[in-house]
Amino acid sequence: MALLSEVYEALENIVGPENITEEPATLDSYAYQWMAELVTDVTGGSKFFDRPEAVLVPGSVEDVQAIIKACNQYKIKYHVFSTGWGPWAAVPSAGQILMDLRRMNRIIEINEQNMFAVVEPYCVAAQLQAEAMKVGLNNHISGAGSGTSVLANACTFQGGGPDVMYFSSPQDSILSIEWVMPTGEILRTGSMGSDLGWFCAEGPGPSTQGIIRGSLGGAGGWGVVTKIAIRLVNWPGPVQMPIEGTAPSYRTQLPEENFKAAFPAFPSLQRFADAIYRIYDSEIGYIVHRQFVMWGDELQAAFLRIVTDPTKQLCDIPELLETPEIQQLTKEMQRNFQFIMVGMTPRDLAYQQKVLDQILKETGGWNISIIEEPDMQQYVLLFMLKLCFKSVNFTATGGFIDTYNSVASPDVWASGEIEAGKALLKKYAPKIADCGDQAMGPIGGQGGGGVTGWEDFVFYDPQDSDSSKAAADCSDEGDRLKAAQGRPPGGMLFGLARSTHADEEVRAKKLSKSPEYNWQRKLKETLDPNSVGSGNYFWGADLSKEENN
Amino acid sequence: MALEDLRATVSRCSKCSYCKWIPLAHVKSWRFAKGCPSIEYNKFQSYSASGRLSTSLSLLEGRSSYFDEGLVDIVFKCMLDGCCDVACKVNRYDLEPVEIMRQLRFKMIDNGCFPPMDVPYIDHLRKEDNMMLESKADRGKWADGLDVKDLTQEKADVVFHVGCKLSFDKDLWKIPQTVVAILKNAGVDFGIMGKDENCCGGRVCDMGYRGEFLKYAENNIDAWKNAGVKTIVTTCSDGYHAFNRLYPEEFEFNFEVLHITQYLERLINEGKLKFTKTVPMKVTYHDPCHLGRRGEPYMPWKGEQKKIRGQVLVYEPRKPRYNGALGIYDIPRNIIKSIPGIELVEMERNREYAWCCGAGGGVRERYPEFSGWTAGERIEEAKSTGAEAIVTACGWCERNFIDAINDQNESMKVYDIVDLVAEAI
Repeated sequence: MALLSEVYEALENIVGPENITEEPATLDSYAYQWMAELVTDVTGGSKFFDRPEAVLVPGSVEDVQAIIKACNQYKIKYHVFSTGWGPWAAVPSAGQILMDLRRMNRIIEINEQNMFAVVEPYCVAAQLQAEAMKVGLNNHISGAGSGTSVLANACTFQGGGPDVMYFSSPQDSILSIEWVMPTGEILRTGSMGSDLGWFCAEGPGPSTQGIIRGSLGGAGGWGVVTKIAIRLVNWPGPVQMPIEGTAPSYRTQLPEENFKAAFPAFPSLQRFADAIYRIYDSEIGYIVHRQFVMWGDELQAAFLRIVTDPTKQLCDIPELLETPEIQQLTKEMQRNFQFIMVGMTPRDLAYQQKVLDQILKETGGWNISIIEEPDMQQYVLLFMLKLCFKSVNFTATGGFIDTYNSVASPDVWASGEIEAGKALLKKYAPKIADCGDQAMGPIGGQGGGGVTGWEDFVFYDPQDSDSSKAAADCSDEGDRLKAAQGRPPGGMLFGLARSTHADEEVRAKKLSKSPEYNWQRKLKETLDPNSVGSGNYFWGADLSKEENN
Repeated sequence: MALEDLRATVSRCSKCSYCKWIPLAHVKSWRFAKGCPSIEYNKFQSYSASGRLSTSLSLLEGRSSYFDEGLVDIVFKCMLDGCCDVACKVNRYDLEPVEIMRQLRFKMIDNGCFPPMDVPYIDHLRKEDNMMLESKADRGKWADGLDVKDLTQEKADVVFHVGCKLSFDKDLWKIPQTVVAILKNAGVDFGIMGKDENCCGGRVCDMGYRGEFLKYAENNIDAWKNAGVKTIVTTCSDGYHAFNRLYPEEFEFNFEVLHITQYLERLINEGKLKFTKTVPMKVTYHDPCHLGRRGEPYMPWKGEQKKIRGQVLVYEPRKPRYNGALGIYDIPRNIIKSIPGIELVEMERNREYAWCCGAGGGVRERYPEFSGWTAGERIEEAKSTGAEAIVTACGWCERNFIDAINDQNESMKVYDIVDLVAEAI
C-alpha cells in the first residue's frame, strides 16, 4: 500500500524531496532488523519486518511537528526511531511512515555548573561522553552501549546499564523534556515549561514525565521526544581517554590513583549475594556489572584472552580451553562480576579499595588475578567506562536474545536461579551456543538493596532456522518457568520484539492482566485521539468493550 | 566469492550501526565521531554498510529489483573507504562489509546496472587505458627529459609505477619527478613504462568493473615479467592496494610491492637519503584509505566456516583478518617526523579510522559534489588541529583536497610526503 500522492506531496513539502523516500531497497533497510527471523508469525522467518510506506528524515522540531500534524490530518500512522538498533525500531505493521531522526543530532548545551546536558535524539552516548569529559563530567550509557541514543534510552526505552548504581537509572536522570505530542502540539516539561531553562524536571512548568516516559517508554509510537536535559555525574579522569593498542584490542591507560578495575569472585552464590548487598550499602563503585559472563561461565576466560589479543580469533577457543591457565581462570571466574572503582581523589579510591578488600574478606571472595595484568586492567577499564564494545553481544554467533532471569534481589540468584538459567540453556544446546551460565546485567540499579536486572543470554545463529527456533523456544520456556514461579518473564528483548509487531488484539490479550495496561490505553485514547502513533508494546485494542459486547 | 555465497554472512548483521561511526573507543568529540561519509551525506539507512548488506539480502530474496529506481545510487554512492569495515570488525570476526559491498557492485554491473555517468570514463578506459579522459600517448610526458629507463625496451630490478592520477595531472607532476631524482640519487636500478604504463585497475575494480580490472592486472604482470622486474614502487595508494592486495588474490604474483613511503624509509635507513634543510611547518597527516586500512597485504586462505560449542562461528583453518591493523601508518609519520623543523599533529580520526578524502571508489568521477563535501569535512578536521598543511601519500587524495580548498577559499596547503622530502634534501 503506497502512500497516496497527495499525502506523499504533503510530507515532501515539509522535509524537502531529499529527505523523504519510497525507494524499495531503502525501505527494506529499515525493515531489516535483528530478531526479525524469530518473530515468524509476522516475518515468516525472514530478516525483514513490514516495510514502512515512506521514510522521512526530519531536521527540526518544526519538521516533526508538521509531520505529526499531517499524520493526524490524513490519518496516517507514524513510527519513529533515533539510532534504531532492534526490532522495536521497525514499523510495527504495514501502512505506517517512519521518521529517522538522524539529522537531529546536536548537543544543545553542557551545563558544567549544574551538571546536565541537553541533547537531541541522534546524539549518541559516545559523543556526549567525549564532550562531557572535557569539562570533568560523565553520562550514563545504556547497556546497549555508547553507539545508542542518550535521549531514546532515557525517554523512550528501557535504558538501564552497568553504571546505574552510581549514575542512577536514566529515567531518574531526566530533567526538562521537549515533546511533540501525538496531536502535534509541543509540550515542554519542568522548568522549560516556563521558559526558565532545562535544569528541573518538576515545575514550575508541568511534569508529565510519567506519561511521556512510563515504565518502558513509548518506543517510537508516542509522540516524538525532540530534546531532553539529562543529569551528568563527576568525572575525575583526563579530558580525553587515551586509547592504545592494535585494532581491535584497544585499551586505555588511566591514572592509577583514580581508577581501578576489579573482578570479585566468590566461593558460593550466597557469598556472591552477600557481597552485592554489602557493596550497595557501602556506596562504593562507579560501575558494577556482570559483563563477561555473557560469553558463558565456561567460555568467558577464553573469550577475554581472544578479545585482548589481536592475533587471536574464535577458532582459538578449543585450544585455549585445553590450557591449564584458561582452565584455572575459568574455575576462578565462576560467580564473578566486574567492579570499576573511580576515586574522585586518590584518597577516595584508596577508601573504596579498602572497603572492597574488607567485603571480600568477610564473604570469602577474591579478586581474580587476571585483572591485575596491565593489558587486562586497561582493556576492562575501557570496555566498562566507554561501553564501546557492546556489539560484542553478537560476536559468537551473530544473534542473541534473553531468557529466564530478569529483575530480582541477589538472594533470588543465590536460591538456585543462576543454575536454573544455566540448565535451561544447556537443554537447548547445541542448537544454541553451549556456553554455560550466561546471566549478565547490572547490579544495584533496579531499586534499593542491590536489586539486579539480569538476562540469561541465548546465542543463536540468525541464518540457521533450527538455531533460531531453538532460541525462541528457549526464551518461551524461560517465560513459562518464571510464570509458574509467579515472577516476571525474563525474555524481555524477544518479548518486546514480538509484542511490538503483534496484532493489536493479540497484544491487548497478552497485556490485559497488566495493571498498567488499561491506564496506558486510556492515556493513548486521550492524547492520541486519531491513533496516529504506531502501535507498540504497551497498548492495543480495548478488550473491555469487546467483553461488554 | 560471489554475492550469493555471502548470503549467510549478510543475514548475520545485527544492524548495530557501529559501521556508521569510527570505532567508538576512539570517539574524541561530537564533531568528528562519524566514520561513514556515505550515510552522513545521503542520510538514509541504505547508504550505510549495514544498509547495503540488507540491500544485498533484499536483492537476493527478490524483494527488490536490480532495476529499481534509486538502487544504483545506493550501491555506488560510496567511496568503499572501509572505515565501516574496521568499526564492524572491532567485535565481529565473521562479517566482511567491504567485501560484500564490492560483490554487490560486481553483481549490479553484471546485471547491466551502473551509474550513467560511468559511460565516458569506462569508454575512455577501454580506448585509452586511463579514466582521466586523457590520451594514452601523453601518459609518459611527465618524465620528458628525465632520462629514465624505458622498461618496454630495457630491463631493471625496479619499476616505478606512477599511476593514472600523477601521470596526467600536471599540477602533481613534481611528485613523480622528485621520486625519479631520489631513486637516481640513491643509485637504484629502476625504470618506467612511460606511455605504455597501464592503469592498475584498482579504481575500476572498486567501481564494480571486475572484468576491466582483470584485464589490466594481467597486462601489467606480463609487462613486468618481460622487463625483469622484481620490485614495484608506486606513489599511488590505489595502485599500492591493487598490487598488494588485489593482484595476488587473482593471479600468481611474485613481485615485491612497495609504496614510495616504504621505499623512502628504506633509503633513509640505508643512509642513502639524508635531510639537510629545515622545513619549519606544523602539519597533519591524512592516511589514504588504500595505503592504510585497505592497504593490508593479501593473505591466502582456503577453508570453511564451522560451528563449535553448538553455534559459535569459527573458520578452519584460521582465516586472515582484514581489520586495518596491518595498514601502513607509522612509516609516513616517521618520515615526516624525521624532517628537521616539522611539527606533526594528529587529526582526531587517524590511522585505521581516518575519514576518507572523498576521491575513492569512483565517487570523484560519479558524484563530484559528494566527493567535494567529503574532502571539505577532512579539511575542517585538519584545520581543527592548528596545522597549516595537510600531508598525504596519494595523488587522488591531494587532488581532492586541493579542489576542496579552492572551492572553500581556504588557505591550507596540501603536500605529498614526497614534496616535503624534496624540500628537506
